[in-house]
Amino acid sequence: MEYPQAVPLKYRIDPEACIYLQKGKCGVCQKKCPVDAVDFEQKPQTVNLNVGSVILAPGFEPFSPTGLENYQYARHPNVITSMEFERILSASGPTTGHVVRPSDNAEPEKIAWFQCVGSRDLNRCDNSYCSSVCCMYAIKEAVIAKEHVGESLDCSIFFMDMRTHGKEFERFYESARDRSGVRFVRSRVHTVTPVPDSDDLELRYVTEKGELKTEIFNMLVLSVGLQTSPELVELAQNLDIELTEGRFAATDAFSPVETSRPGIFVSGAFQGPKDIPQSVVDSSAASSAAGELLADVRNTRTKEKKIPPETEVTGDRPKIGVFICQCGTNIAGVVDVPQVVEYASALPYVELATDKLFACSQDAQESMSEMIREKGLNRIVVAACTPKTHEPLFQETLTDAGLNKYLFEMTNIRNQDSWVHKNNPELATEKAKDLVRMAVSKVSLQEPLEELELGVHPAAMVVGGGIAGMTAAKSFAAQGYETHLVERGDRLGGQARNIFHTAKGDSVSEKLEELIRSVESSDKIHVHMNTALKDVEGFVGNFKSLLSSNGNEKEVEHGVTVLATGAEAYKPDEYGYGTDDRIMTSLELDQKLKEDDPVIKGLNAAAFIQCVGSREPGRMYCSRLCCTHSVENALELKKRNPEMNVYVLYRDIRTYGEKEYLYRDARKTGVIFIRYSPDDKPVVKAGKDKITITATDHVLQMPVELEVDLVNLATAVIPYGDEKLANFFKVPMNEDGFFIEKHAKLGPSEFSTDGVYLCGLAHYPKPIDESIAQAKAAVSRAVTLLARKTVYSSGTIAQVDQQLCATCGVCVSICPYSAPSFAEEGRFAGKAEINPALCKGCGLCTASCRSGAIHLKGFDTDQIFSQIFGIDEAI
Amino acid sequence: MSDKNPKILSFLCNWCSYGAADLAGVSRMEYPSNIRVIRIPCTGRMSPKFILAALRQGADAVWVSG
Repeated sequence: MEYPQAVPLKYRIDPEACIYLQKGKCGVCQKKCPVDAVDFEQKPQTVNLNVGSVILAPGFEPFSPTGLENYQYARHPNVITSMEFERILSASGPTTGHVVRPSDNAEPEKIAWFQCVGSRDLNRCDNSYCSSVCCMYAIKEAVIAKEHVGESLDCSIFFMDMRTHGKEFERFYESARDRSGVRFVRSRVHTVTPVPDSDDLELRYVTEKGELKTEIFNMLVLSVGLQTSPELVELAQNLDIELTEGRFAATDAFSPVETSRPGIFVSGAFQGPKDIPQSVVDSSAASSAAGELLADVRNTRTKEKKIPPETEVTGDRPKIGVFICQCGTNIAGVVDVPQVVEYASALPYVELATDKLFACSQDAQESMSEMIREKGLNRIVVAACTPKTHEPLFQETLTDAGLNKYLFEMTNIRNQDSWVHKNNPELATEKAKDLVRMAVSKVSLQEPLEELELGVHPAAMVVGGGIAGMTAAKSFAAQGYETHLVERGDRLGGQARNIFHTAKGDSVSEKLEELIRSVESSDKIHVHMNTALKDVEGFVGNFKSLLSSNGNEKEVEHGVTVLATGAEAYKPDEYGYGTDDRIMTSLELDQKLKEDDPVIKGLNAAAFIQCVGSREPGRMYCSRLCCTHSVENALELKKRNPEMNVYVLYRDIRTYGEKEYLYRDARKTGVIFIRYSPDDKPVVKAGKDKITITATDHVLQMPVELEVDLVNLATAVIPYGDEKLANFFKVPMNEDGFFIEKHAKLGPSEFSTDGVYLCGLAHYPKPIDESIAQAKAAVSRAVTLLARKTVYSSGTIAQVDQQLCATCGVCVSICPYSAPSFAEEGRFAGKAEINPALCKGCGLCTASCRSGAIHLKGFDTDQIFSQIFGIDEAI
Repeated sequence: MSDKNPKILSFLCNWCSYGAADLAGVSRMEYPSNIRVIRIPCTGRMSPKFILAALRQGADAVWVSG
């Protein structure tokens, strides 16, 4: 097993190391395995598959620093890679999460991280790109190391540019420095020497002020970059797909997951070095792209599972089956399982109690099914690991045996018992008995629950007609779904209208016009221009939105919603913006470049000022795209007039991934980069002929004066922060006004609210290629719902006993999901009722109901009381 | 109540604390076995009655976490 998160989480035999396979002797594992899982006869097989599309997600390999002699990696045990340090920090790693250094297992007092090892480096390796993720993971490792060891641990990160361009990353960086006390040193260390008679290392480096410093550290972590392995380069050749200069799959900004070969898509770090959220976006985007291609044959090879009819148990006396898992030795090694079985068999209503070696194994599931049928069991308790991972599996077994899946209770005697009380087997056994008793008393009160089947309206609504919104609409249409595209303005295109080039140098306007044309000409896409959203009602699968355009109102029905409301450029009140035409924002310069404005030709010198309005108190985020944008436009100015003096005043250049080439080329062409610090910002003075910029040069450590004809302010990306829209769909926004996705890493293109998705700048600043990928990703997530045609609500939801309801309205006002409302008609008009499609089963209303009128199915008051009453015998 | 052997009943939210208790197990941490856990879907489900009932039932302490 390579790592504890491996899927499937099963051991395999390493044929190179296996004595039996090598020499024909041993075979101990086969003899020992209690379930006969070991098969030495398995051979590699070649399987031919006929597919319509291929998605490549082969990942990356970490750069190996073995060849970098000056860092001592191969020679000194206390020089390790960041990947190795991750294992040291991990609770399941070799040191069980204790931060110790390899040479003597002593806890270090000083650790140094070196950034850009195997990235942004052409001298000692071939990777001139930025690996995008190392700055952030190094900060994370330093913060966690300090949490593990304590405040006293000295963590220092040696870096060139700090690239925390992801969502919420800048705040993390600030807090690592200011609160956790991580030290950041802007320097590339040139020499590392072992300290004689100790296991320490001496670092020699030059500080920003030009002083040569020597410092001793106990341990050194090399933040290694991401690269494509030679095997993958070979795979790419076999598949006949093009690679980039950095050996990643070549893609186009407007089709970011398509390789050069039609039908073959790419996602993750093989498309370019990237972090988890971006990889997740890509993978969804690739599946959407494949889905567009294969829309006509969707569901043609689906096999349907046969489900036996459900046995009616209402009114029957409970007949409980208790299954106690040994989990190999995980439980049985600590808990006296036979004793617990014996105890369980004597509990009220228990028909049968038995143990299983592995309750989750195929054969155990089958025998469970058989016993349910044979003995007529109508309630099941499984005492094993955690319901968070295994409940669905056992519930499926119940369903297969014809039992309602809610007639089930799982209790946790592994994670919360045998694993945490391994030195107290007796007490652990007592605890297991108590937990089983509590589960038995709860399950006996459990009733079969119904999952409401809800139809899905096979149409989508996309809010926002920018590049993300249009891409989403087009993708929905390509997969066969009617789509309403709602734009409040009078033109499609959004911010992309203002942009000159992509980072890859392609003209935006041509592709944009093409996209607009295809959206407008699609018979599946209904474009609603100059339209505002007035009201939204309904829920996943069944939304009804009221659109208003010039006083005309129209209702549309849709099963899913994508929010792609975009963002705009910040208009600053600093650096003389608004007082002089020669001082402009990046988008205004783009406009001039696009129109080939004569002003550009007349320039002798131009300056770009970065981070205008970004990375500042009140807007503590990096706008992600401005460094690349400015560097690219600096190159464009140089291209138009090589004699022009072009300056970029920056804080950190964040040309992540292969955008780093632009930065490299800009320096080569003679663009001058001057770093400024936020407490000593450049001062812009517009004179009659020239604009004078005064800044402190970081190399000279002296003030310099630049005389320029044009100043470009790279201003922040500001979301609209539309609270009304957020309220319509019950979706949250962060303090900056960007929407908050379901999960920062694993659910970047969807909301927690079912049936609502997001993409583009409304999520976080991002360049065109990433907006397009996220738009496709949002569609992919939405189509998984649309394609099902029906959705089921959960059975564990609240229900009102309307005879008891006092119409006080607490439930209506307290529910975060707007599930309760007052019935408008019928016998119980005026009483509360709960919409099962909206209820998330949190129980807030149940706990707040002063009349005891609300029942939370599966966690009802009598059930929880039965568990509480179960403790009187305990301990 | 015995000082050395208190009876603790805990109500853990399914989404955070219950998961954290699972993780404590995965990480092979150890803690005294005096605790019995009731999994609830959200601490919003907590009613003061549960706490009172637990105390009346002989619990020395009630822990609600979510």
